[in-house]
Amino acid sequence: MAKILAKNKLNDVIAKLKSAGIDLFGPVRDDKHSWYGPVEEAGQLALDLILTDRTLKELFFPQTEPLLKFEIKKQQVDMQEMSPPNRQRVIFAVRPCDAAGIAIDDALFGWDYKDSYWFKRRNDSTIVSIACTAADEFCLCTSLKLSPDSTKGSDILLWPTKDGKGWRVEEITDKGKEFLGRINELLEDSEDQTAAVANVPVKFDLDKVVAWLAEPANFDSSFWREISRRCIGCGACTFLCPTCHCFDIQDEGNTYHGVRQKNWDSCSFAMFTMHTSGHNPRPTQMSRWRQRIMHKFNYYPGKFQANSCSGCGRCTRQCPVDMGIVETLREISKSV
Amino acid sequence: MGALEILKDRAKQLLTAGEVKMVIGYGRGSTADRRRAIFISDEAQADKLVLDKSCEDNLAGYLVREGLLQDGKKVAIFLSPAGIRSVNVLAAEDQLNPDQVVILGFEIKGDQVSALDGHHVNGFIELVGQIKKQGLSKDREELIAKLEKMTPPERFEFWRAQFSKCLKCYACRQGCPMCYCRRCIVDRNQPQWINTSPHSMGNFEWNIVRAFHLAGRCVGCGNCERACPVGIPLMLLNQQMAAEVLSAFDHFAGMNSTQEPVLASFKREDPDTFIL
Repeated sequence: MAKILAKNKLNDVIAKLKSAGIDLFGPVRDDKHSWYGPVEEAGQLALDLILTDRTLKELFFPQTEPLLKFEIKKQQVDMQEMSPPNRQRVIFAVRPCDAAGIAIDDALFGWDYKDSYWFKRRNDSTIVSIACTAADEFCLCTSLKLSPDSTKGSDILLWPTKDGKGWRVEEITDKGKEFLGRINELLEDSEDQTAAVANVPVKFDLDKVVAWLAEPANFDSSFWREISRRCIGCGACTFLCPTCHCFDIQDEGNTYHGVRQKNWDSCSFAMFTMHTSGHNPRPTQMSRWRQRIMHKFNYYPGKFQANSCSGCGRCTRQCPVDMGIVETLREISKSV
Repeated sequence: MGALEILKDRAKQLLTAGEVKMVIGYGRGSTADRRRAIFISDEAQADKLVLDKSCEDNLAGYLVREGLLQDGKKVAIFLSPAGIRSVNVLAAEDQLNPDQVVILGFEIKGDQVSALDGHHVNGFIELVGQIKKQGLSKDREELIAKLEKMTPPERFEFWRAQFSKCLKCYACRQGCPMCYCRRCIVDRNQPQWINTSPHSMGNFEWNIVRAFHLAGRCVGCGNCERACPVGIPLMLLNQQMAAEVLSAFDHFAGMNSTQEPVLASFKREDPDTFIL
C-alpha cells in the first residue's frame, strides 16, 4: 500500500498551506516562456512541461537582490541591512535536475563564508519534486550519474501514477515529513502502479571527461578553439544553468544614498575577469568557454567532490548558437 | 543545381585557389531542424555545409569578432539579404573592409532557397534597393496596431511586463552584428553609467539603450529576438525604430558600403540645430 496525492486535491493542499501561512511556488508559464513562480491555485501549475525555461535557483539566488541600503550623513553613515522575506514556502513540481542543482550549490554557498541569503531561503523552503516520465533530446541527467527519479536536493519525491491522476508520495527528509504531516488527511491509500520514469540515454563517459580535463597538457589543446568558435559570448547558458552561481556586487544610487545589489554575473562575459589595468586574463571566448567547462568538471569537483552540473540540458536547449556542454563533453569523451 | 550546390562549389573554389582563408557557413546542428555556424578553412570540409529554410541566423557578426579580418585576408560568408545589408553597415561604420568579404548570397522564400549572383557587397546594391522599395517587414501588424492604439501608460505597462523577464544575459547584444562595441555602454563602469542590476529600472535602461543605438542601423535580421532565451519581442522595437528613421530621414540601413550613418551625420539644411 502506498500513499497517493491526487491531482484534484491540489487546491486543498494549497488551502492548507495558506492557512498555515505557507506560500506555494511551482512551474508557471506565459505564452513565450516558463519559470518557477508563486501559485495561488492549482490551475496555474504547468505540470505538462518537461522542464521550465528558467531554473529553480532563482528562488534561492535571485538574479538581483538588495543587500543593504545606505545613507551618508554629515556625521555618520546609516545602514539598513536587507534580508529575504520571512516566509515559509513549498516549491511544488520541481524537476529532479533542478532540485539536484540546489544541493550542488549548497557546498559553494556554505563553504568559507556561509551565505545567509541562500541558507535563509533554503531553511524556509520545502522542495517537492516529481520524477520525470518524459525527457527530450537535451536531457542528460544520466550522463551526470543522476537520474529522472533522483532524490538529490528534494524533500519529497512524487512518482506519477500510471493513470496520470496523481503521484505516489516518497518522503526523503525531515522537512518532507513535516510537509506530509500537514497534508496527511488529503492523501489516499492506493495500490496504483507508478508510471515508468523517462529513459534518458547516457551521452558520454563522465569519468573519461573528468580524467581528460585533469590532464594539464589538455588545457592548451586546440580542441578548445574548435569547439567554441561559434560562441557569441552571451550569458544565456550560465543564467539558465541550475548550478551557475557567480555574482557581482554593485552599489547603485548617488554620493549620499544608495543600495548595494547582488547581481548574477557570468564567466562568458569579457568583463567578468577584466582587471582595472585593462588586462584580461581570459581575453578570448575560447578561454572563457574552457573556464566554464573546467569550473564545472574539474575545479568544482576538486573542491566539493561534486560536478557543478545536474544534467538539465538548458545550456544546449536554449543556446542561441546551438552550443552547450553536451557536445563539448561528448567530443572529449569520444577522443579518449 | 540547387542553391547549396552552387554556393558550395564557389566555396570550394575559393578555398582551393587560396582566395579566402575561411568560409563561414551553416552546418547541421544538434537536432534535425537546428542549423549552426561552421567555419571551414579546408576545402575537404566543405561538404559539411548545408543550406535550407532553417538557416535563419545572420552570420555577419562573426566577421568582426576577435580580429578575424585584421590580417587583411579574405573570408567568404553565407549571407541572406539582411546579412548583406549588415556588411554594408559595418563597412560604412569602418568596422571592416568590404573588399575582404566574399559574399555567398542566398535568399529564403517560404521553403525555397535560391542562390544570389554577386560576391562583393557592391554587387548587391540593386537588390537592397528593391528591398527598400518593398517596404519594411509587415510582421505582427496586428500586435503593432494594438500597441499603437494604447495610451502611453498602457504601452509602458506592456513593455514593463516584457522587460521584467529580461535576465541581462545580453544574448540580444552578442547575437547582433551591429553590436560590435569593444566596450558596451553597460560595461563601462568608471563610472557605471547604466545600472547592471536586472531590476525594472536596469532592464528598461538596457533595452532602451539597445533599441536607440540600433535606430537607423538595424537591418531586421531577427538575430536578437531569436537569441533571447525569455522571448522578449525585441523586433517590435527594432521595426518601429526603423520605420521612424525611414519616415523622418528616408534612411534605410545598409543600402551600400559608404552610406552615412543617419544619427552620426549632419546636413546644413537640417531644420534642427542640435540633436534634441
